[in-house]
Amino acid sequence: MSSPMIQRHTNTGIFMHWFNAGCWLFLLATGLGLLQNPDLQPLGAWYPGLLRAVFGGGDGLLGAHIAVALLWLAVWAGYYLRFAGRYAVPFLVSIFTLDPRRDLQWIVKKNFQMTLGYKMMARLVRPLGWDGRLPEQEYYNAGQKLAAQVMVLGSLVLAVSGLILAASSWIIDTPNVPWVQWSITIHYLAAGLTFAIVLVHIYMAAIAKEERPALWSMFNGQVPAAYAEHHHKLWYDKLSK
Amino acid sequence: MSKQLGMVIDASLCLDCKGCLSACKQANQVPEGKWRNWIKDGDLEPAAAARRRVVFQPGGCMHCDQPTCVSACPTGATYKDRRDGTVVINRDLCIGCGQCLPACPYGARYRHPHLRVADKCDFCVQRRADGLEPACVSTCPTKARVFGDLNDPHSPAGRLMKKHAADQTLTQVVNRRSPTDPNLYYLGDPGPKHWPAQAKMPEALEFFKNLVKPAVNLVVGVTGLGVVAMLAKQLLMPGDAPPEHPPQGGDHE
Ligand code: HEM
Repeated sequence: MSSPMIQRHTNTGIFMHWFNAGCWLFLLATGLGLLQNPDLQPLGAWYPGLLRAVFGGGDGLLGAHIAVALLWLAVWAGYYLRFAGRYAVPFLVSIFTLDPRRDLQWIVKKNFQMTLGYKMMARLVRPLGWDGRLPEQEYYNAGQKLAAQVMVLGSLVLAVSGLILAASSWIIDTPNVPWVQWSITIHYLAAGLTFAIVLVHIYMAAIAKEERPALWSMFNGQVPAAYAEHHHKLWYDKLSK
Repeated sequence: MSKQLGMVIDASLCLDCKGCLSACKQANQVPEGKWRNWIKDGDLEPAAAARRRVVFQPGGCMHCDQPTCVSACPTGATYKDRRDGTVVINRDLCIGCGQCLPACPYGARYRHPHLRVADKCDFCVQRRADGLEPACVSTCPTKARVFGDLNDPHSPAGRLMKKHAADQTLTQVVNRRSPTDPNLYYLGDPGPKHWPAQAKMPEALEFFKNLVKPAVNLVVGVTGLGVVAMLAKQLLMPGDAPPEHPPQGGDHE
């Protein structure tokens, strides 16, 4: 496709995405390995055993988890301090603004499309009056918005509960620490639910064929104009104005 | 049989001199207000009135075979060391959540006020490394506390275990609802036997185990299956892609 390219992501955005994805998956893997108690560990004893072998024991594993978590938090804090107005807040506004009619319709129709397949859908749904088209989308489509909401909120809960857990053996002096105990449970819940969405995100972004141009854009920042018009019409129209 | 360090304590020899308490505090730098061991006073028991003489029950972490504190630890910072049978705390892995504290029927654990991690008797691991007995054992003037590998008939404690296995005079102090199989055995009348509490698993941990873990398994499992199904569809039905330029204008994914 020899369509002209348009800018989709800044270098800062690309760096933050891959830095975050790397830290996030590392923290997920190491955090899961910290759960050695068989009542809590979902994968079985081999998993914490393997990670402890790799990191030279449970204390090494905990140290690595905390070190990367602090780096992750520090870089995010720096990003928000430096770029709050320029990138961070506009990003949050765009993912948290759902247009009830357009975005909900998109979600429902897209689900039909993905589960039934395009051909099947053409046969089944089109006779009912739907022409098979999806509502026009903004910079992020409704699926990306919902996924991003879960990833942002899930990461926020992880950051707060994680800081409480780290603070437990640094500064918390009370002998009875139910909120540290609940932080463990909440930390796992947030990680688990967010991971479910991350799974879908990785599939859609890295594996699904339709989204290939978006994947390349997470490296070189650009998408073909035709892709932008096709997938993010409202954003494309705004740019062309 | 594998090594199991423990104690055989002859309660009838205890004078309640509290030498074991202060020796332990000193040897292990136990912080102010905290104790790693104790002497229970038989007079506290209702049955004491019927008894002719006072009895004392020296104790400490029982390094149980079925340690409930280990079941309450999320990270494995507290574990049963298979090499010598002791219940160990890895301070560098402990996050100080305190869930093991109420899980011990004997109240043998406390949260170290300066290190902010769980702490308890470790049978004086430092002294043992230097070839010494635990401080409470060395200091006991009447040798009421006898230490060693309970499974080795040549160790001081193992000898007593073997000797009294036959006459069945060895007792364990346990709460029947939390049978942890402790490795402190008593000879003579140890007095109060019903003081251990029922092990209490923290609510947050029970909630994690019974609700959060299965719920996350379900959600991740279902989405995971969905992703695998979409992948399979993509691989097996490669033709089923949206047309690049659909007729009437567009397909706005
Ligand atoms: C190897 C794993 C990953 C790949 C291949 C990947 C790929 C991508 C791509 C290609 C985009 C751009 C979409 C577009 O321009 O329209 C994107 C966006 C994004 N990614 Fe990832 N990503 C990965 C992991 C993660 C992780 C672990 C997180 C967070 C926990 C994350 C959070 C986001 C968010 C919030 C966005 C923006 C909104 C959205 O597209 O939903 N990504 N990702």
